[in-house]
Amino acid sequence: METEPVPQKSPPSQEISAPTTAVAAETNVGKVIGACVAAALVPGLGHALLKKWDRAVVFFVSIVLLFVLGLMLQARLFGPDFSDLFSILKFTADAGSGLLFWLPWFGGVGVGDPSAYAYDFGNVFVYAAGLLNMLLVVDAFDISMGRKQ
Amino acid sequence: MNNHFNLLLIFSALVSLVFTFIAKYGTRERVKYFLYLFGSFVLLSILVGWLMYPFPF
Repeated sequence: METEPVPQKSPPSQEISAPTTAVAAETNVGKVIGACVAAALVPGLGHALLKKWDRAVVFFVSIVLLFVLGLMLQARLFGPDFSDLFSILKFTADAGSGLLFWLPWFGGVGVGDPSAYAYDFGNVFVYAAGLLNMLLVVDAFDISMGRKQ
Repeated sequence: MNNHFNLLLIFSALVSLVFTFIAKYGTRERVKYFLYLFGSFVLLSILVGWLMYPFPF
């Protein structure tokens, strides 16, 4: 006796979950990229987009203060100069601050005065602001990926 | 502004604050961690400064 083959039907949960997962993944990618770009441009903005308000405010205030104090101490903003390793490192550290670096640099601010009393301190303040902002981009990435609170 | 020690204190406070808010969550934990980082920054800077004192850099 021959029996008719029973058509194999996938469980309904799989049919629904596939498109839902795709939409969620798309949203997640947008959120991740948005948070990282925002964090790279303005300190704390990535965390603000992720609704981590306390961290956003603290990061913004701290990094802007570091950067502004650095400029007040006659620091130099090192522009794109790829002639030697130290110039590249200085530019990378400075440019990590995002718009905080680019706007004054294009405006001609941050010429620097090596004879100033705290010139080196100023440079360290500006480097630290940029490097900390890079760390914030990584932090915003981790939060938006759900690896961190 | 023309005092290296004051600049060290300001730098340590701001950097410690950022590290604290990246690494810790609760208020109590944050305060403890901030004080630990800030103290470490200041004390180790003074210690390294004294250690470097004899070297003619």
